[in-house]
Amino acid sequence: MTIDARVLRETLEHTLAADDSFPKRFYDLLFSRHPEVIPMFHRNSPGAQRKMFAQKVTMIVDHFEDPEWLARELAEVALTHQKYGVRPEMYAWVGDALIDTVREACGAEWTEAAERAWREAYDRIVRSILSTLSQVSSERG
Amino acid sequence: MFPESAAPERELPWERPGRRAAPLIPHLVLVWSLDEPDRIGEAIPIGRRSSVGRGEPLPEDPAPRVMPQRMRPAMTESRAPIANARIGRLHLLLEPENDGVRIRCHGRAPMRVNGQSREDAVVRDGDVVELHNAAVFIVVSRPKELPALRAAGQWEFAFGAADRFGITGESEAVWRVRDELGFAASTDRHVLLIGESGVGKELAARAIHGLSNRSERPLISRNAATLPDALVDAELFGNARNYPNAGMPERSGLIGGANGSTLFLDEIGELPEKSQVHLLRVLDAAGEYQRLGEARPSHSSFRLVAATNRPLDALKHDFLARFTHRIKLPGFTERREDIALVLSELLRRVAAGSPSVVGRFFERRNGQLAEPRIAPDLIVRLLRHPFTHHVRELDRLLWLAIGSAEDDYIGVTEAVDAELKDATVAFSDAADVSREQLLAALREHGRSPTRIAKALGLKNRYVLHRLLKKYGIGSSAIDDAGSS
Repeated sequence: MTIDARVLRETLEHTLAADDSFPKRFYDLLFSRHPEVIPMFHRNSPGAQRKMFAQKVTMIVDHFEDPEWLARELAEVALTHQKYGVRPEMYAWVGDALIDTVREACGAEWTEAAERAWREAYDRIVRSILSTLSQVSSERG
Repeated sequence: MFPESAAPERELPWERPGRRAAPLIPHLVLVWSLDEPDRIGEAIPIGRRSSVGRGEPLPEDPAPRVMPQRMRPAMTESRAPIANARIGRLHLLLEPENDGVRIRCHGRAPMRVNGQSREDAVVRDGDVVELHNAAVFIVVSRPKELPALRAAGQWEFAFGAADRFGITGESEAVWRVRDELGFAASTDRHVLLIGESGVGKELAARAIHGLSNRSERPLISRNAATLPDALVDAELFGNARNYPNAGMPERSGLIGGANGSTLFLDEIGELPEKSQVHLLRVLDAAGEYQRLGEARPSHSSFRLVAATNRPLDALKHDFLARFTHRIKLPGFTERREDIALVLSELLRRVAAGSPSVVGRFFERRNGQLAEPRIAPDLIVRLLRHPFTHHVRELDRLLWLAIGSAEDDYIGVTEAVDAELKDATVAFSDAADVSREQLLAALREHGRSPTRIAKALGLKNRYVLHRLLKKYGIGSSAIDDAGSS
């Protein structure tokens, strides 16, 4: 399935510009809905965590049409998440908070195509991460 | 005999084509970045029409995309694309013009040039370009590549960090000084360091000593202004036992103590003329001198590194002539692009010494102190401040900012604001300010006439009142009880 990378980029640009505190809004949503994840973020100060999150999201979207880069980057993300004890069900929590944040920031600019592009892109990212994790566990297994 | 025209041509070194000075190209040097503080000091060259934005080049780029570079002598390294999330995929379009660079902002983070909101501006050396809450740049003209050092291999340290002597900076001016220090160190001749208070004369002396073949022995350092007039000679040359009074211990003096090493005398201009004359012999005659109360000469193999912040005519001309090398150390006016790096270095030192005092101003990554939280406004104001005591003054301003901070970041507090002056802002002609710019400034700066006038680069609030009248905006839009 072809994901509309142009829509992803345009809506992300809109989000970055429309809401100066986009990463803060994302973490506020995530932490209010799932407070059990808060202790997982103790290593970095909130400012550093937000910067890392914003950079990671923009880099992934910027490289969305570069499968080699994406596979390499997501494999690293998967290993980091494994180290920090991220559980599979948490990816859905993060995805909902992320897409809700982008949708909120885009306001009237948000379209069905944007919703579809973000959902599909996020699914592809999660599938890639989970496949790395299952590969690692079967190798150890 | 061959006719003259048929003689084989010999290349004489002084007849080789001369090395012409490399042309200077405007660069945007990064001085603040929210997302990529480790890239401060990197420079974006603007030799031709160019695009600047986040990420790799795009097919729709209106001009070739330029990447930030780390510039070191004889080595310019192109770096990874900008990854700052707040910088748009295509944010700036740059175009050199006769007397500057035209810069157009296409990104959503708005641009300010010297504090004024602009979508399009012509910038020149020293101008400050802000992308709101994303990045701050200063415009600096440099050659495409910094010239090679005469003694390479001595300055290996991380980009943007302090070198092993504590000198911080990546500007052309600071690299020129490192080159001169390295060259002077290799020659074993006496050196005079010239520069205003706070430019780092002691660090320069340490560098000369550390790079010389005398570095195994400790540097002897003394401020000449602290030598009491009556005891200058005794302090410098030492004295024999029981001289001038019975019971006086034998002392080797600074010159004897520096045997095999380097003697650094700061504020040499404060040395009485008589003592300058007394030093002539030891500086000339292979280190021969006489201790007070001794008839036979002593010898000391030492190198004198002296420093002064006074005009050179304050020194006796024959004393001045003994200094083979004279190195002028630049102040912040000549290397504004280094201010942010020096500020970070000062903060790192404070953090190492007093983590409990400044820990709250740093981000943490993996439990460790990471980059400091410095507001872009502070950097912008420091870039415009006319420093007179340079690093010392910056250190004081930093402590003022730390001491008066009410939050978890270091910014322009009232106390800091009172100390900072504005040396480089160019006053706009009120006729150049459009109604839209005026309305934007009103929206951005609330009702304060001083802040609005400053943002628009107007000379004072009265010019602002004339503008408000011109565009039919009532003076009630601002708080200004004192105006009429």
